[in-house]
Amino acid sequence: MFSPAVENLVAQLTRLPGVGTRTAQRLAFHILQRPKPEALALAQAIQEVKERVRFCRECGNLTEEELCGICLDARRDHGLICVVEQPVDLISLERTHEYRGLYHVLGGALSPLDGVEPEDLRIDELLRRVERNGVQEVVLATNPNMTGEATAAFLADRLRNRVRVTRLASGLPVGGDLEYADEVTLGRALAGRREM
Amino acid sequence: MLAVGPNGAGKTNLLESLHLGTQGFSPRTRSDAQLIRFGERASRVAVRGRRAGGAPIEIELVLGAADGRRARVNGAPLRAAEQLRAEVATLVFTPDRLAVVKGGPAVRRSYLDRALARLYPARAGLSTSYAAAVGQRNAALRRVALGFSTRDALEPWTESVAGLGAELVAARTDAVALLTPVFAERARELGLPDAALAYAAEPPTVGSLSTRLERDLERGTTGAGPHLDDVGIASGTRELRTYGSQGEQRLAVLSLLLAEAELIAERTGAPPLLLLDDVLSELDPQRRRVLAERVASRGQTLVTSTTAAALPTQPDQLLEVVPGEVRVA
Repeated sequence: MFSPAVENLVAQLTRLPGVGTRTAQRLAFHILQRPKPEALALAQAIQEVKERVRFCRECGNLTEEELCGICLDARRDHGLICVVEQPVDLISLERTHEYRGLYHVLGGALSPLDGVEPEDLRIDELLRRVERNGVQEVVLATNPNMTGEATAAFLADRLRNRVRVTRLASGLPVGGDLEYADEVTLGRALAGRREM
Repeated sequence: MLAVGPNGAGKTNLLESLHLGTQGFSPRTRSDAQLIRFGERASRVAVRGRRAGGAPIEIELVLGAADGRRARVNGAPLRAAEQLRAEVATLVFTPDRLAVVKGGPAVRRSYLDRALARLYPARAGLSTSYAAAVGQRNAALRRVALGFSTRDALEPWTESVAGLGAELVAARTDAVALLTPVFAERARELGLPDAALAYAAEPPTVGSLSTRLERDLERGTTGAGPHLDDVGIASGTRELRTYGSQGEQRLAVLSLLLAEAELIAERTGAPPLLLLDDVLSELDPQRRRVLAERVASRGQTLVTSTTAAALPTQPDQLLEVVPGEVRVA
């Protein structure tokens, strides 16, 4: 249909999550219409990120050094580890400015249907960290969905009796209205209600 | 309301449109393509009515061949057409529904799970979550059997299946306990004595799943749990699936529907819209009368029939269906 170069760009863009053929074509034409430096800046940014950024040896977070800034920060509580699925989850938690411990990024969640096994995640690394570093508490912050819950259960079984294990609470979004909450979330919030 | 017309005039079509317009999906098919006229790109259903309290409600549902379903309530778009179910309750009887009594256990399980979702909206997602957990555990079983995975990796899925399975069994048990007395009462009125629902299920536990682990590994599927349960529908000691006549099976399905309608009315304060397709044809005059009086007592019901004389009572509204048109008689 288009030139082979454009076809290739569309094909590459389609590999991105959430991008279908239609969107990929729109993005490709947008890139074609922009001035050359602007388009090349995108290509360069992708190259730079792949060359410079790697995973933190300790926690699996993204970093440009051997260890990430969080693991290196001596003011943080090194006895507390929060386990998340992906680096983006870590960023969300960091935005709260409430959590002062360290993280551990698993790189996904257990899902036999997708072929994701415990050894595909950074679970052994987590167990070794807990063994080694005098960790007092592990906060399981995997997603509150089927695979996230199963991953949390798997980790809890392995960490129990070694360290205090906690799980993030499920409930209502703050600042929202009960009116707009879905039945399942409201049901969970009711089940997890607390004394005042 | 009684909709009358010859075979093929479009009575079922009218009823299906009402279901689609109030629930966001067809009782007949899950394929949107089947709901769009040949050669056209979209279909549209607009429903105008009043809620139980008298407030006006207008629903518009558009099915696009390319861009899926979009629903609006009083002009405001919904996030998903499925949300219509939270706005209006509609229950439907079509001759296909006899499968709830006649068919295999899977039909009864999915009927019970839909009924419990309507009765306990907070637990509506349970059966889907449970099925997903069983799917993951089955995948894990096969991977262990093939040597791609270890038994350790199976544990969280065994726990999920046990946890969600126990919740599902509890929800089904609650729903059956709620439905049974009303079902028996409606069935008795329709001349089906000592009708009862029976759901006696053992909730799966980590222990019970572990004891059958070898067999499960061999077969690659989870061989125990609520995904294999059945619901008994009986009159006295007779299981109606095997020993009921066609007429008795029809009465049982109708009684279930009426029981559910009554419970929804009780729990939400609004009786559901009842759509009864071709329900009168196999009932004797006495039972037709009982049914007509029962549905006339509350809420709104649409009944289809080939002849107006089939309904022994006077309908509030008589609709004449001819191909391509519905007239108020």
